[in-house]
Amino acid sequence: MSDFQVKSDAVDVDAIMRQIRARIREKRGADYTEAEVQDLAKVKLEQFLDPKGVRSDLVAQFRRHRTVSPAPPNYEFEDDTIYETHRGLLRSIRRLLNPLLKLFFNPNKISAALHVQAKVNQEFHQRFRQREDMDPLYYELVHNLALEVTRLGIEVHNMKMRVESVSSRLDFDERRGRALENVVQYKAARPAGGDRTQAPRSQAPRAQAPRAQAPAADSATPLPTVSETAPPVTPEGTATGAAPDGQPGGGPPAPGVQNGQPDGEGERRRRRRRRRRRPGQTMGDQAGGSNADATVASNGPSEPAAEGRPDARPADAAGPSADPGSTDQ
Amino acid sequence: MKIAIVVQRYGAEINGGAELHARYIAERLSRHASIEVLTTCAKDYLTWKNEWPAGEEKLNGITVRRFPVTRPRNIDDFGRRSTLVFDRTHSLSDELAWLDSEGPRSPALIRHISRVRDKFDFFLFFSARYYHACHGSRAVPDKAILVPTAERDPAIGLHLLGSVLRGVRGLMYNSFEERDLIHGVSGNQSVPGVVVGVGSAIPERTQPWRFRKKFNVKRPFVIYVGRIDENKGCPALFDHFINYAESHPRGLDLIMLGKAVIPIPEHRRIRALGFVSDADKFDALAAADLLVMPSKFESLSMVALEAWALGKPVLVNGACDVLLGQTRRANGGLWYESFQEFAEAMYCLEATGPVGTILGRQGREFFRRHYAWPVIERKYLDMFDRLKREPSTRPVEPWPGWWARRQRTLPPAREVVDRVPAGPSPR
Repeated sequence: MSDFQVKSDAVDVDAIMRQIRARIREKRGADYTEAEVQDLAKVKLEQFLDPKGVRSDLVAQFRRHRTVSPAPPNYEFEDDTIYETHRGLLRSIRRLLNPLLKLFFNPNKISAALHVQAKVNQEFHQRFRQREDMDPLYYELVHNLALEVTRLGIEVHNMKMRVESVSSRLDFDERRGRALENVVQYKAARPAGGDRTQAPRSQAPRAQAPRAQAPAADSATPLPTVSETAPPVTPEGTATGAAPDGQPGGGPPAPGVQNGQPDGEGERRRRRRRRRRRPGQTMGDQAGGSNADATVASNGPSEPAAEGRPDARPADAAGPSADPGSTDQ
Repeated sequence: MKIAIVVQRYGAEINGGAELHARYIAERLSRHASIEVLTTCAKDYLTWKNEWPAGEEKLNGITVRRFPVTRPRNIDDFGRRSTLVFDRTHSLSDELAWLDSEGPRSPALIRHISRVRDKFDFFLFFSARYYHACHGSRAVPDKAILVPTAERDPAIGLHLLGSVLRGVRGLMYNSFEERDLIHGVSGNQSVPGVVVGVGSAIPERTQPWRFRKKFNVKRPFVIYVGRIDENKGCPALFDHFINYAESHPRGLDLIMLGKAVIPIPEHRRIRALGFVSDADKFDALAAADLLVMPSKFESLSMVALEAWALGKPVLVNGACDVLLGQTRRANGGLWYESFQEFAEAMYCLEATGPVGTILGRQGREFFRRHYAWPVIERKYLDMFDRLKREPSTRPVEPWPGWWARRQRTLPPAREVVDRVPAGPSPR
């Protein structure tokens, strides 16, 4: 006699059910069975009952004032309750006389009615007890809900303030963005308007160009200044500061470059001297101590600042290498 | 070989449950042995009123002998006694009173069994929880074979049923889950038993188009067959289906066959056709995309077997161990434990869905291998042969004495059942 041993390998229903559950899990984010959901709900309720979870003494006070209803009287009523006695003999006699009693009326009907009533009483009391047990739970739930609502109210208030702050910053950024756009449009329009290039402006003092260059490189805000100090434009429409490779040059000429040619060692030295002049010192004062300053400049803290300038490098590099005592050879 | 089949009701009008199971077995075994049915005059399982005449009659070639029921069931009394034995500590006397109250109480039937015990080789008792099985099997313990048809309800945890389940010669189980449950509550592992189930009267040919034409059914549908009752899980089915209909406007309709005990919700995609003939039922099953079984308590779903026989997949309630176990063993359907699973499984099992046809085919193969009549008959005949070869060695457990029967020491039956692990049997 063979028992069932089915192996249908074509389609495995367990695998299909796994796929179905995976699909449901994807749809709702987490695969909780009904039992798991119930467990989660129970855990939450248990947490509510934990006094550590409720940061208030309201619940404790509620519990202190809470009264528990007394146990109900014994409602049990069975078929033989009316014959009950602690005397065995009397019970037997009553049972013997039962048929006689039934001649006068039907005690079974009374027993049945009282039994039903006893069940009703018991059920009522059971429900009442359940209700009493649930009361503190409801109280705690309401209390925790009130806490949560308050917390959420504060959070909403904070969020409103943050929204206001963000919107004001957004307004500022929009205004700034518009200003920058205007500048860019202005710059883009300049090369196209070749008729605006005037011959007298092309002969603007060249010494201003290097001075205007430094702030222009730092930030975008002084751009109008850059446009004001834009390099002179030739009558043919090309800027004098154009790159040697022929690229159109909108910016100022490179330092030490004039008309595409280096302006020589004299200009570089002048700038170096101007830079090393201390506050309150004149050119004449500086001329006397130039050697000492040169030593400080090459070894002291000011050296990095000097190195940061491209035009200082050739002079500084030439100094130490020209000093025979500073070499190991 | 002479076999007596003892069942609480018997008739051509009874088309479900253990009674139909008994009729099928009687008619099939009549090809191999002389069969006589011993039953009561009751027709209604709620009242057990005597509606058929007492005496002998022939039904489909089988001799049927009916005995009167002494009193109809008193619902209030039965409810009160059920509460006592299921939920409270009670006595064996209380359980015997509960058994009398449940009915159908027919001492004449038991007396007849005792009287004719030598005329039959075996007595095949159906439904362990009823009066005839408890008292009848004790009257002929060495010839009693029990078909328990037990579900996971508190009645199976009663002490008196334990002694019956341990005292019979053999047991014919409907499913592995039923066998595990009975082993758990009664500890009767030593009693010879086999998982058999039952076949069905599957027609050679079905006419699905005829059903569609007769009942004007045009759309694809899922079918429910059985009593439309709360105990069968129908309210939950309605809820799930209405939600499904809202989320799947082009999905399946629901067609329900069977007597309605509870109101059916008004919904354009739910149709209840009431009680129909067997021909209509099989045509409807053939026309359906799948069968749904929402019941939580089943010892064996015959309609699920019929659906498989016709190559239809089934969708069952995953909370029912037996249905879940059967479906997994058959690879012939899916199960659900929530609405989401219900909706997804409905989609999968549609005729045009991804696996419905394949699962139906696998179900048919499962039915053919394990529930075809030759297989069922062979298992019964093998059991008879085995019991003939092996002598009966276990004496029936006697009832305790007058005083001991009245001692309220027995645990509530519900507790006894709850202690047995639930879940489908391993494959």
